[in-house]
Amino acid sequence: MKSILIIDDASTVRLYHRSLLEEAGFHVDEAVNGIEGVEKALSRTYDLFVVDVNMPKMDGYAFLREIRRRKEIHQSPAVMVSTEAEEKDRQRAFAAGANFYLVKPTKPNELLEVAALMTGGRA
Amino acid sequence: MPLRKTRAEDLPQAGSQAALSADEAIALLGGPDAAGRQAAARRLAGNAAAAEALCARFAVETDIPTREAIAVALMRTQSAVTVERLLPFLSSEDAALRNTVIEILQALPAEVAPHMERLLDHPDSDVRIFAVNVLEALRHPKVEEWLIAVVSADRHPNVVATALDLLGEVGTEAAIPALSRIAARFADEPFLKFAAGNAMKRIGAGS
Repeated sequence: MKSILIIDDASTVRLYHRSLLEEAGFHVDEAVNGIEGVEKALSRTYDLFVVDVNMPKMDGYAFLREIRRRKEIHQSPAVMVSTEAEEKDRQRAFAAGANFYLVKPTKPNELLEVAALMTGGRA
Repeated sequence: MPLRKTRAEDLPQAGSQAALSADEAIALLGGPDAAGRQAAARRLAGNAAAAEALCARFAVETDIPTREAIAVALMRTQSAVTVERLLPFLSSEDAALRNTVIEILQALPAEVAPHMERLLDHPDSDVRIFAVNVLEALRHPKVEEWLIAVVSADRHPNVVATALDLLGEVGTEAAIPALSRIAARFADEPFLKFAAGNAMKRIGAGS
């Protein structure tokens, strides 16, 4: 079973994404900010990170930069999920280390298609 | 008699902040030594008259521990000046700075309250989202009323989503009518329908 780590400070967003991904057969863990995300990312292997941008303590950009510099996890794909739809925001996400960019609120099929694509197929 | 500006090197060293006068601490706040600036911030904590100087330094401070020390000092100022000077930072692209400002504002409920309706009506949806973030830990009796207004009237799905997340935590039955209308208001947004249902469940009204 493929594993996904959701990093988002909004409990409703975590619950929504979790329910969609679990229904599709993924194992899902959660973190409430970038610091907890890094800790969890180092504790087990994840096939995908789904990362919010604005979070307290460590935001999504800092999380991405952190995982990209750690050799244990630097190759794991990451989807940044943001309220910002402008091109400059996408470019900033890619520069920080995102592999894909989704704009909130996410549509269920968008998230599931990206999760399948990024994890190399179905759950 | 001309005023003589206090130079940082004339001032007591960091660690002896209790011996600093407020004027000396304000002068030290602009000094080159981070430890000195932190000592000055600690000395000025809770000093409403120093809010202007603390905010001015906060705006340009790049040393993170010093910025945090100034933030703590500002939280204790209980000053309307602090809120007025910091509100523009809700539009900052610097997420760490913005998050710190949100934390400071959360500690100043009485001073933030007069600005909240204007913030929640700001033309920039990001500022409205950050205003809702301020409400997250704002101990003020109008928090639920403000959140209900957001979910009832705001047209931006992400602003409403942020308010729904918080209403699920702090909302009461008073929020149910507004939550019940979300599915119709945002028929093309499955997440908002989910979030409103989830908020109602958490409040105890089911869905």
